Amino acid sequence: MSDERPISETEKGLALRTAEELRTAALSAAESVPVSLHPPTLFDVQEMELNFGPQHPSTHGVLRLVVRVDGEKIIETKPDIGYLHRGTEKLFETETYPMGIPHTDRLDYVAAATNNHAYCLTVEKLLGVEIPRRAQLVRVILDELQRLSSHLVWLGTSGIDLGAVTPFWYAFREREQILDFFEEYCGARLTLNCMRIGGLPFDLTAGWIERLTEFIDDLPSRIDDYEQLLTENRIWKKRTVDVGVISGEECIEWGVTGPVLRASGVEWDLRRAQPYECYDELDFAIPTRVNGDTYDRYVVRVQEMRQSARIIKQCLDLLEPGEVRGKVPRVIKPLAEEVYASIESPKGELGFYCVSNGTNRPYRMHVRPPSFINLQALPRLAKGHLVSDLVALIGTIDIVLGEVDR
Amino acid sequence: MALKKWLDKLTLLDLFDGLSVTGRHLFKKKVTIQYPEQKKLPSDRFRGMFRLDEERCIKCTLCAIECPINIIYIDWHNEKNAQGKSVKVLDRFDVDLKRCMFCQLCEEACPTNPKSIWLTTKTYEMAAYDRNESLYLDIRKLTDWRAAPNVKPFTVVEQG
Amino acid sequence: MKLTPAVLTYLKVLILVAVVPAIVGFVIVLAERRLMGFMQVRLGPNRVGPKGLLQGVADLVKLVTKEDITPAQAEKAVYFLAPVLAVIPSLTALAVIPFGPAVQIGKIKTPLWVAADVNIGLLFLLAITSIGVYGIILGGWASNNKYSLLGGLRSAAQLVSYEVPMGLALVSVLLMTRSLSMVEIVERQGRLGLWFVFPGLLAFFLYFVSGVAETNRNPFDLPEAESELVSGFNTEYSGVKFAFFFLGEYAAMIVISCVAVTVFFGGWLPPFPSVAALKFLGVIPPFGWFLIKTGFFLFCYIWFRSTFPRYRFDQLMALGWKWMIPIALANIVIVALAILATPGRSHGLFVLSYIFGGLFVLMYLLAKLRQRLTRRERLAAAPASASE
Repeated sequence: MSDERPISETEKGLALRTAEELRTAALSAAESVPVSLHPPTLFDVQEMELNFGPQHPSTHGVLRLVVRVDGEKIIETKPDIGYLHRGTEKLFETETYPMGIPHTDRLDYVAAATNNHAYCLTVEKLLGVEIPRRAQLVRVILDELQRLSSHLVWLGTSGIDLGAVTPFWYAFREREQILDFFEEYCGARLTLNCMRIGGLPFDLTAGWIERLTEFIDDLPSRIDDYEQLLTENRIWKKRTVDVGVISGEECIEWGVTGPVLRASGVEWDLRRAQPYECYDELDFAIPTRVNGDTYDRYVVRVQEMRQSARIIKQCLDLLEPGEVRGKVPRVIKPLAEEVYASIESPKGELGFYCVSNGTNRPYRMHVRPPSFINLQALPRLAKGHLVSDLVALIGTIDIVLGEVDR
Repeated sequence: MALKKWLDKLTLLDLFDGLSVTGRHLFKKKVTIQYPEQKKLPSDRFRGMFRLDEERCIKCTLCAIECPINIIYIDWHNEKNAQGKSVKVLDRFDVDLKRCMFCQLCEEACPTNPKSIWLTTKTYEMAAYDRNESLYLDIRKLTDWRAAPNVKPFTVVEQG
Repeated sequence: MKLTPAVLTYLKVLILVAVVPAIVGFVIVLAERRLMGFMQVRLGPNRVGPKGLLQGVADLVKLVTKEDITPAQAEKAVYFLAPVLAVIPSLTALAVIPFGPAVQIGKIKTPLWVAADVNIGLLFLLAITSIGVYGIILGGWASNNKYSLLGGLRSAAQLVSYEVPMGLALVSVLLMTRSLSMVEIVERQGRLGLWFVFPGLLAFFLYFVSGVAETNRNPFDLPEAESELVSGFNTEYSGVKFAFFFLGEYAAMIVISCVAVTVFFGGWLPPFPSVAALKFLGVIPPFGWFLIKTGFFLFCYIWFRSTFPRYRFDQLMALGWKWMIPIALANIVIVALAILATPGRSHGLFVLSYIFGGLFVLMYLLAKLRQRLTRRERLAAAPASASE
């Protein structure tokens, strides 16, 4: 290779020929103890590469982690994703704008309404339509119910990963009620398809508001139950305090958003910073903690559940009769421009970047999935911890593989 | 303050609190629904099994156009009826239930009032032992569920 | 055949070996799943038989008819031996536990309810349960699976570490009874009119927590947890061999509960045996009292399992070595001081029990009070709830 231009790092890497050179280069690059080339004796560092396979009992979906460990200590983690890729973004390009909404349900399937909401906001921004006030309030209510539902799933599965098997059942008892509310409203429990471009498909049914009020009034005592089981529990604290510490600046560098960011001290919530719908009228607090470990992320999410209940209560008080669907043309053909709109989903900042070319199908619809970007921080979080902590860490960044892989 | 925290730790207060939560729940009402003896009543808007009303259908194929997965296959041809008017006659109206997401966009697209195709039938028990025969619904099975043996109606909702 | 003591012993052993696994299989498995379900606001298994009572039979049939797989490179003899080694020590340990008082038959007073009244009963127990560790190590090693081996070694390390505080806790009880015989321990509690849990409150906590760790149960069940990478020593076992491991774990639970009842809670004695006003409690036979108390401890096992998260392995070991052993040693010193303070009589034990009991209640109330008082601060610090 005799050329005058400077040799890049990649080319240097490619120029390494023998297996030994590659091995030693990779190992020294990962800051491990230098491994000599003779067969390992009893006292040598022996690294194992483990496969935290696509199927494992921690219920987070088909995520494969290739973990390099030294005994029990993790040296390096490499997430290997793509097991749930379904070509959603390509599907958006082949369908019209309203037809894309059921596909967004399947992104973050635990919190489907927020996906619908982000998509609809994007297209509404493209079209420049205004949403009626009642639609805005009901959208916020549905969003916050989804936030509750998503955090309940997170709480249950996080508990199970760390051995506490009962909060799962209590959380799902509440979640069943939330799903019943959704079923009454739009007919489905999980893949909701509950928002349309310009507003909502239906108005609320009779009695929905009363039953929701009852549920929200009951909720703080249920959250107290979960807290009593876990928050002060010494075993829980031992498993989560100082596990996966990440600072605020690092979060911003990695692009991590959502409860992970807020637990590291940065008070950034899109509902406050870039209010959409009617969030600027509502009064709620942004839970923030400073340490950035797993325990703080736990506390932030539990507090967010309480705040969601508060928001729903306020929205229910503000509801007035009115239209639920704005005036939107039957065939949606936006002008040829590009737009990005994002909302605060339970996992972080969920955004849709849409490029329209004047026809009724988008030229490009790209999803900014919070789980995908938060997952990139996992190797940084896991460095130096034990394999048993890895399970806690996957749970704490709260990923949904539907979003990661699309 | 440190002394008081030490007190908590020594008396295992947090552990006893946790035990009291599970102990209390031992006596609370259990939420299990004993399926199949007890079933949850789906809501009125529940998106379940399809039903088609052939007389109301005006063969506009809007439902097939709107379907995000293109699983509605409609064929029609023109015929002269008794009055001599040209009417559309359905050759084929098939729904491939294997792929359906039950998103209800077809029902929304239907222009007739009441709708000619609807999902709000509260029926969700349509499991079958074979995929291709039982889960591909032709017009016979859509209009009259007795032709589709794997569909167990919960409540037949006649109107869309 | 003449009913010599030897024949009687064989009969008792036969009953123990036949009855206890049956109880384990049919009662405890079902009780655990149903009770855990109840604590999780759901019904447990209730389909098999009325109220699910035949679930144990279904489990037994399933395990026995499962395909018996042996890994290709596994060491066959050891592979067969490991489950056996896990079960037999637990069942053997039941031989020295007194389930009831000595009975007068004619002119002879025989310890009818004990299979073997050896005068080193407690030592025998500790020794026999240590052999159970072999089953786990060999099971992990013989599976020819590096994850099983790691799991087995971890489990063995945990078991061996927690035997020390268990033994030390029992030593402090020994100081109170001056005898290793289990029958004598119960009878001394009867004579004193005081269960040993009161002067030995600390010892009891240490013993029970070590017991939970000994049987690999939550919160110490990392070696066999499902969501861990290393699936534990019994990954490669299926069918009857797995049933044996399962049985061994539950039998060990029963042994720990029985020993806790015998040593700390007065065995087959009714509560407050020396108080005349409570003589009506004698309507329940002694064996009934024993069952009630053991049942309560088994319930505690299930209660712990459904409440607590699990410790990480290094935290588990740190807890055992850095906290429980020093506390156990301190406990021995305290009990010894209490006894020496009143040599010959046992008044010191009563004083100690009052001190322990009073201290515990006082500290618990103080902690609860502090919790109530800081509740307002904690609520104010956190954002307000929905009721604003």
